[in-house]
Amino acid sequence: MNRAREEMIAGLTADLAPVRSFRLRDGLVLTGVAALLTLAGVALFKGLWMGAYHGDATPFFWITNGLLLLLGSASTLAVVNMASPQVGSSREAPKWATAMVGVLPLAAFLSLIPRHDPIGTIVDPVSYHCMLDSLAASALVAIALVLWLRRGAPVSHNAAGWHTGLAAGALGTVAYGLSCALDTMTHLGIWHILPIAIAAVVGRMVVPRLIKW
Amino acid sequence: MIADEATLSRLMAKAQQGDRPAYNVLLSEAGMWLERYFRRRVPPHQQDDLVQDVLMALHAKRATYDPTRPFLPWLAAIARYRWVDHLRKVYRNETDLLEEGDAVEDSEEDVITARVSLERLFIHLPEGQAEAIELVKIEGHSISEAAQKTGQSESLVKVNIHRGLKKLAALVEKAE
Repeated sequence: MNRAREEMIAGLTADLAPVRSFRLRDGLVLTGVAALLTLAGVALFKGLWMGAYHGDATPFFWITNGLLLLLGSASTLAVVNMASPQVGSSREAPKWATAMVGVLPLAAFLSLIPRHDPIGTIVDPVSYHCMLDSLAASALVAIALVLWLRRGAPVSHNAAGWHTGLAAGALGTVAYGLSCALDTMTHLGIWHILPIAIAAVVGRMVVPRLIKW
Repeated sequence: MIADEATLSRLMAKAQQGDRPAYNVLLSEAGMWLERYFRRRVPPHQQDDLVQDVLMALHAKRATYDPTRPFLPWLAAIARYRWVDHLRKVYRNETDLLEEGDAVEDSEEDVITARVSLERLFIHLPEGQAEAIELVKIEGHSISEAAQKTGQSESLVKVNIHRGLKKLAALVEKAE
């Protein structure tokens, strides 16, 4: 070993202080708290759609939000894991969950084919609000995940960006979705999926710059 | 001889608790392991800087090691990350990946292994890009010589090197 390295090792050793090792649970709790705060905010400012709990919701409401919750959970788990360097991929679950969620917009478009005015059915002012509010509801989870990644040592920045966007988008959309009384396949399959796609792209573009170490 | 996985994991767990003698041994052992890791990945004159860079990263990010997991994959992930970062800097600065004389210092086995590794990566590049990188960055020809040999224009050789190196860095980063 050369002298420069010996001196560096001596310096690092002298600088050593005890640290609390990373725990997966801490990252999950942080994200869970962010998601619950988001839900509380949605309940406070928008009000949850109570009709869903009285049997007024179509099955699409529960299927869509259930799938998004799974996607959000799988992506969150992947991001939390990514904060600790490791060799080998543990990101299969978000891929499959994304594929499953991808069926929803496909079903939405197929359901439009027999209609007279498919464009008019898709485009309505309320739907834009759904998209924008879902994106706004994604912010807190995104911040929590970025803070977690910054505390850690992620080694796959692009993947971390995609997954952070997916997790934040999916959990934010679920939180907002519980306040949305529009429960048709067309509305849910398009306007509650679009925010997730946008969040994923934004995550891919922005997050890698924030987590570089 | 470098300590085994179980010993390194134990030393790292102790280091996280503030055990300085254990940490000193761990850093020395990790340094030797990293020397071997980088031997076939970077030219000899860059190895020591990279080893020290990774040891600094190990120190700064030591909390991210989970004592219930093996130590070497954790260290290897950090080493690969710093290596990719190093490749990017090389690519950005347009310095040579291999400088003249480096191969002479390496053993014949190292040179062959490095060559095989590169050729495996070259499979993923279009022929023009692989050819340009091989002639200019590995065999040391000038841009104009490479242009003559390949029949590409000088601008195309430069573009192919630029794009090829960028793709190689991405491939290395993507590899799990």
